[in-house]
Order: sequence, then C-alpha cells, then structure tokens
Amino acid sequence: MNIRRWRILAWQTALFIAMFVVWQWGTQVTWLAQHIKILDPFFISSPGRIWERFFELSQPDLAQPLQVRIVTTVVTAICGFFVGVSSGFLCGLYLGRSPFLSSVLQPYIVAFNTMPRIALVPLVTLLFGFGAVSKVVNAWLIVFFIVFFNTYEGVMNVDRDLVNAARMLGATPAQIMRTVYRPSALAWTFAALTPAISFALIGVVIAEFLGGDTGIGYLIISSLATLEAADMMVALLVLGVVGIGLATLVKRVERYLLRWQPRYYGHHDPVV
Amino acid sequence: MHAQAFPAAVTHAPAVRVRCEGLHKRFALKDREVIAVGDATFEVRDREFVSLIGPSGCGKSTVLNIVAGLLSPTRGRVLVDGEPVTAPMSKVGYIFQKDTTYPWNTVEDNIGMGLEYRGVRAPERRARVADMIRMAKLEGFEKAYPGMLSGGMRQRVALVRCFITEPEVLLMDEPFGALDTHTALLLHRELLTLWERTRQAILFVTHNLSEAISLSDRVILLGARPCSVKMDVRVNLPRPRDVIAVRETPEYRRIYGELWHALGREFQEGMTEVAR
Repeated sequence: MNIRRWRILAWQTALFIAMFVVWQWGTQVTWLAQHIKILDPFFISSPGRIWERFFELSQPDLAQPLQVRIVTTVVTAICGFFVGVSSGFLCGLYLGRSPFLSSVLQPYIVAFNTMPRIALVPLVTLLFGFGAVSKVVNAWLIVFFIVFFNTYEGVMNVDRDLVNAARMLGATPAQIMRTVYRPSALAWTFAALTPAISFALIGVVIAEFLGGDTGIGYLIISSLATLEAADMMVALLVLGVVGIGLATLVKRVERYLLRWQPRYYGHHDPVV
Repeated sequence: MHAQAFPAAVTHAPAVRVRCEGLHKRFALKDREVIAVGDATFEVRDREFVSLIGPSGCGKSTVLNIVAGLLSPTRGRVLVDGEPVTAPMSKVGYIFQKDTTYPWNTVEDNIGMGLEYRGVRAPERRARVADMIRMAKLEGFEKAYPGMLSGGMRQRVALVRCFITEPEVLLMDEPFGALDTHTALLLHRELLTLWERTRQAILFVTHNLSEAISLSDRVILLGARPCSVKMDVRVNLPRPRDVIAVRETPEYRRIYGELWHALGREFQEGMTEVAR
C-alpha cells in the first residue's frame, strides 16, 4: 500500500471515530439535546445504548435473533439480485438483437418502468403472501429493469465493425452473439450491478416493512411502534455494513470478469 | 494457325478469382441520394495483389464491402470463383482499417477466433495459433489483452487472425491507414512475407500511392465520386520484393509519376464538383 492509500484510510478512520464521539457525548449534553433535535437520544439513541441493544437483540433464545434477521434479509436480497440480473441480462441481450420484438414491447416496458416499483409492493404481497417469495419478487422487479435497460443499451452500442469482423471470420449469428454481443454488453451490465445490489436490499426491506415479522425491515418498522431508537439504529447500521460487503463483492466479480478493460489491468503504457 | 485458335495468353492466364461487373451503389439519405459507386468493372486473378486507389470518399471502401458481401450493390454483381456473392464467404478474408481485435479476448484467443468459428478443436487450434504467433513475432504477448498493445501490434494480431483461416481471397480496407509511416512499412514487409507463402488473391484499398505500388502487381485507379475505373496499371517489379528498396527503381518512379498525374486530375475534378 502506498502513502496515499494510508492517508485516505487514516482520514476515514478519524471521521468514523469523530462521528461516534459526537454521537456518544453530544447526546449527553442536555442543552444540545434540547435545542438540536438530531442530537436528541430519543431520536438517534447513542452508541452505548445501540451496542447494548445489539447484544440483547442477538440473544440466541429470542424467537428471531439479529443474526437470523440478517441472514433472512441478505439471502432474499441476493436471490432477488440473481434472478433480476440474469433475467434482465438475457432479456436485454435478446431484445436488443430483435428490433421487431423490442418495438412491439417498447410502450409496455416504458410504462412499467415509469411506475414507481414501491407502488407494486402491496400487489406482490397480495399475490405471494408475507413470505420470502414476496421479498424476492420485489427485489427482482426493481433489479430487472435496471439491468435490462443497461444491457439493452450495451447491445445497441456494440461496435458494428466488430460484428462485421466476426462475420468475415465466418461466425454464425449464434457465435456472434456469444463472442461479440455478450461480452460487449456485459461491460454495460456491470455498470448497473452496484446500484442493483442496493436496490435489491431496498426491495426486500420494503417488503419486510409491509408484512410478516422477519428480517431487518421488520426490526425497523417495529421499533417505530415501540419507540426504541436504538433498535432502529442497530438495524440501520447493520444494513450499512451489509451494503458495503455486498457492493465490495460485486466489485470483485466485476474486476475479474472485466479484467480486459484498461481500468482493471492497470495503467500500462502500450508495448510497441 | 493452331496457336491463333487457342491463344496462349488465354489458356495460361491465371483463373479469375474476383470479378466485379458494373457495380453501382446508391445510398438513400434523408433528403437526397448519394451515388457512392458509379460503374465499377474489374477483376482480380489468382495469386494477384491488386490495389484500389482513389481520392478519399471516392467509394473504394464501398466497392470492397460489396465484394465482401457486407453490402449489396444497387446494380451489378460480384463473382468470387464464378459464384455470385450475397453474404460473407468463408474463403474470403477481410482486414479492416479500424482495430477490430476483440478487446475482451487475449492475443492468442483473438488469433484463434476464426478457427473456433469454423469448429477447429482446441488442441489443433492451440498449435496453429502458436505457429502464427511465432511467425508474427508476437511471442510473450499471448496472454496480453489488445488494450495493452500499440496500434501496430493490434493490427498485426488482426493480420494473422485472418491469415490463420487460410483465406483464398483477401480483402484489405486501408489496413495500415491509421499507423505511422515507420510501423506501416514494417507491416508491409510482414504482409508480403505472410503472402509469399500462400499467394492468395488480394484486393487492397488505399489512398497511399507508394503503398499501392510497392505492394501490388496491379494498381486500379478509381475516379472521383461517383467512382468508376479510370486506370489499370501493371506493376512489373520482381518478387519477392523489398518494400523500401523497390521505391528506388525507375519502374516504380515511372508508375508513381503516371498515377500521381492521373490522381491529380481526379482530385481537380472532385474539387470542381464540390464547388458546383
């Protein structure tokens, strides 16, 4: 690691500590808590209290300890992500290659996409109940369109000369699809994956708000009923950490699959 | 006399590989029509290296794309070995001016692509790719991605990627047009070395006179838009050639002067047409 990266890490750590110091001790100054709403422990609790609740919520003798909630939310989000990415990618790829079908479907796709997906959550719940299926479908609905549109754009932007080169090398349409369209569109698909993973989490958490008693989303919505800010904060912090973890994972996969791109193999000067 | 009934010139001339008959191509734009190719008729014989030159925008690339089967002519037709061209043919290779190596494939995967499309199995493919890499002096870059290479090296990859499929007819669209003079000269040499072994018919589009004369057996001059054949010059320089030394010979200078003069006339005509 070079000096620059150490400096960034040092600043990140300092910022982290500063935030928690203000949070912990700022909320203990009565004057501050009374005059600045955001420093009132009733709303934001305090790190000490959150830490306490974190352990209380993680007791294994609870009906649903925190670990189980995390696993539920993350697993359903990942399922929704995979279903959404794979279906979005395939549809984008094949619709991009089929001008007729995409013209026929275009108004429907646009209409469906402009509809706020959250508005569909009650319908999905009505259809699939309060279980995991509902959550996966919600995540899928959001992720699908992001990935679909990006992949479609990617197919539209494939270099015509590469396609012609493949034709002149004797490629069949299926071979052109596999060796030119697919890898070329994949670069565009990956641009959508980092937002897609957080949207998958959004879909799942919203479904958990609405019904059932599982997952981190339920923890948030029930803390609103019990007026326990610490529980809400535990849930939010956990979501933050989960988000970072999943985004890092996606980035890793992207770095591997797009290893042919200059930004991933580093800035070499061209060799003569 | 017997010999007159069966003229030797006809029976012994190499077979015609590519024949363009009255090619005419119109493009419909939004508000007008553009005639890219007026009337092009010419042929390329077996083992012959033919260059198409002409002022830029004269439609020579369009002619090449029609011969390749990537475009269809508005009128006229192209025959390759007597067979009308309607789609790309597997015995016809094409090298583009633009870099068309696949950026997501390594150098060796790029070179093996044509073989993979033709269903050649991996072990044989690897052996043939390794041969080609040795011949093109690309050793050490097998696992590199095109983005890591210079323009000249990428074009070398494109060149051997085409040669490895052993095309019987090779079409080249200003393949060295984007390279600097020095790199282009090196690649001329390499192209001739590769070609001396196989000697397929080549149709080579360029706007560079020296390039056309030093490489070709024949140079066809296409006129300004709409293009048609204005001149067909034979280059009687011995083979194998040294692409640099050949430029010192009187024959080269004579042809250069002749074509330069004709090209200048076409250029003038193009200018007056633009003014009109």
